[in-house]
Amino acid sequence: MFPSKSAGVMVVITLAIAAVTAQDAPSGFRAFISDITSPGIDNGVRDADAPRPPRPYPTDLTSLTGGAPYLRGSIVVKFRPGTAPAARHVMLEHAGASKMDTPPYADFNIVTIDDNADPEAAAAALAQQPDVEYAQARYRMHPMFVPNDPLYSMQWNYPAIDMERAWDLNPGATSSIVVAVIDSGVAYRSAVLRRNIPAWHASNGATTFNFPALGVIDIPFAAAPDLAGTDRFVAPRDFIWNDTDPLDFDGHGTHVSGTIGQLTNNGIGVAGMAFNVRIMPVKVIDSLWDDILASPFQGTDDVVARGVRYAVDSGAKVLNLSIGRTGPPSPLLQEALIYATTHGAFVSVAAGNDFEQGNPTEWPAAYANSIQGVVAVGAIGRDRQRAFYSTTGPYVEIAAPGGNQRVGGTTGGILQQTFDFGFVETYANGPARYGPPRFDVFAYQFFQGTSMAAPHVSGFAALLMQQGITSPAAIEAAMEQFATDLGPSGRDDQYGYGLINPRAALRGLGLAK
Amino acid sequence: MTRAWIVAAVLLAVAAPSDAQHQFSIRGFGDAGLTVFTATQSFKAILGKPSGPIFGGGVEVGLPKHLFFSVGGSRFRRTGHRVFVFNSQVFTLDVADTVTVTPLELTAGYRFRSSGFIIPYAGGGVGWHKYEETSAHSTAADDVKTTHTGYHVLAGAEVPVQRWLAAAVDAQWSSVPHAFGDAATSVAGVYHEHNLGGFTLRAKIIVGR
Repeated sequence: MFPSKSAGVMVVITLAIAAVTAQDAPSGFRAFISDITSPGIDNGVRDADAPRPPRPYPTDLTSLTGGAPYLRGSIVVKFRPGTAPAARHVMLEHAGASKMDTPPYADFNIVTIDDNADPEAAAAALAQQPDVEYAQARYRMHPMFVPNDPLYSMQWNYPAIDMERAWDLNPGATSSIVVAVIDSGVAYRSAVLRRNIPAWHASNGATTFNFPALGVIDIPFAAAPDLAGTDRFVAPRDFIWNDTDPLDFDGHGTHVSGTIGQLTNNGIGVAGMAFNVRIMPVKVIDSLWDDILASPFQGTDDVVARGVRYAVDSGAKVLNLSIGRTGPPSPLLQEALIYATTHGAFVSVAAGNDFEQGNPTEWPAAYANSIQGVVAVGAIGRDRQRAFYSTTGPYVEIAAPGGNQRVGGTTGGILQQTFDFGFVETYANGPARYGPPRFDVFAYQFFQGTSMAAPHVSGFAALLMQQGITSPAAIEAAMEQFATDLGPSGRDDQYGYGLINPRAALRGLGLAK
Repeated sequence: MTRAWIVAAVLLAVAAPSDAQHQFSIRGFGDAGLTVFTATQSFKAILGKPSGPIFGGGVEVGLPKHLFFSVGGSRFRRTGHRVFVFNSQVFTLDVADTVTVTPLELTAGYRFRSSGFIIPYAGGGVGWHKYEETSAHSTAADDVKTTHTGYHVLAGAEVPVQRWLAAAVDAQWSSVPHAFGDAATSVAGVYHEHNLGGFTLRAKIIVGR
């Protein structure tokens, strides 16, 4: 029997669907039959839903990859400047590569290798070549949150960081600040997508579940009612479907966007940190529905790096990366982060949720302490203590509310509007009750994770930028200098420099105090 | 503060007439001038420049033997913006910040004999410098209201204009040590500037004889 949703059916789901996995396919994979649908439906607060166990990481990582944390059949390589084409060819041949492409918003190449070859070994062999700056497998990234199916008085997270007084100093920044949400997409527009949904099967490790084909169906999308406003979204881009419609099939990116800039003081729902900014939805993470619908790309390091570069080139001044992975380092992600900061963009990165899974190093968070202007954010709960899942390490630089439902129950999470998952995760209750999804029904959901902490810092950065601190490195310094120290005195591996203190940083320094 | 009062008493004693037969004179004065603060970087960061106009006034008592004693107050007030300083770069924040410095100074001095029209003078004394700083959306806990003791020396020249009216110009150097802390929670702390004193050039109109 397929376990109930509350029992954690999504614990380890291994998809084996007849999916197209080519990562270099052109655009034109999706057909929108309408840009108009009914307005999104708001199903209210889901505070009575029972918390479900945290998904072991990385839940979706195993999709389409046989459990490997990377894609097979291709690797990423960057040659040193000036390397002759002939030399590149020889090196690639030596590594068994057959084809090399340079995608947009990339200063690296995607090299095709044999599907049966070990990408890590192939990359390691290439990396030994003197003309190769770096080579790596295409590691998959994933959202850094633990979703929980469960309005301003319920948003304990803002009073916890004195946001009400901070908003007196800077009421939500302005539309001149663009914050890129580099994530699973955002529910930012209405559309009807006509797709043929094939049969697929999944396993929880013990039982394989066969989900029937649904045939050609129209999938409705709507903008999240409490997030979308006039001229709210700018330069949307989807690197999973290689087009300009980064629709959220997951809910993570929409929730994260809400914490950054949910419409506030509008008499509806909940508040956001920097509620006047414009949001740039950049989709770099594939969800289960993207996989079922056979998206041409997946959320690998190279896709994320391209998303970062695209956001910077398109005018984003703050980048939110509530995503990450464990495993080996990624030089291309490191270079993308350096590219962002040297082009004037501040980056907030989730520190990771794997403390109880052995507390491994998380990427790209672990690059934060070596790049000024990139901040790795740990999470605290309502009790102002490190959340049980929040990864610790020398790269944790700051802490922000991420929620801890183990201590605070369902409402101990971070409340924002996203999808009503009963209409999205239609597979969660097994094949017998499986049906087509809807992405136009919304609810206010409590999530927990460093994914929820990072957007507090992104919103904070937007406020600081509006307030006059324009350098990413200075923004990081201000955050750290004015943080409220938690844990051991001074910087520590749990809370970094402490809990963000937006009001103090927005006030800055007076002559004498 | 106690030390300042002792110094003030000594100054008064030095300036006091030893012979009660000698005549006193009492004059009032008003002044305007420009102060350049010693904490140059700090004032510049917050107020845009390290200097600003001051306005004041007081009473001067003429004593025998060309001595004089004066009590004067002045006020500097300017509004700038709070800032954040990072790697020597000053980021001006959108938070108005008003600094008010109100010195109350006791000065004892000597008028030099002069055969000419101009009467040079010099002196020194103690002062109590009230420092206030407030900013937009601040609370009482955020604001600063402190008083610091300082010392000053001055020199100038007076020109009689009419029997009851004179004009003077003087230059004053003052030191108000330890007015600002060294913590990085203030601009003065960032720049390690602790002194609220400065150099003041002012013009006076003196009424009386």
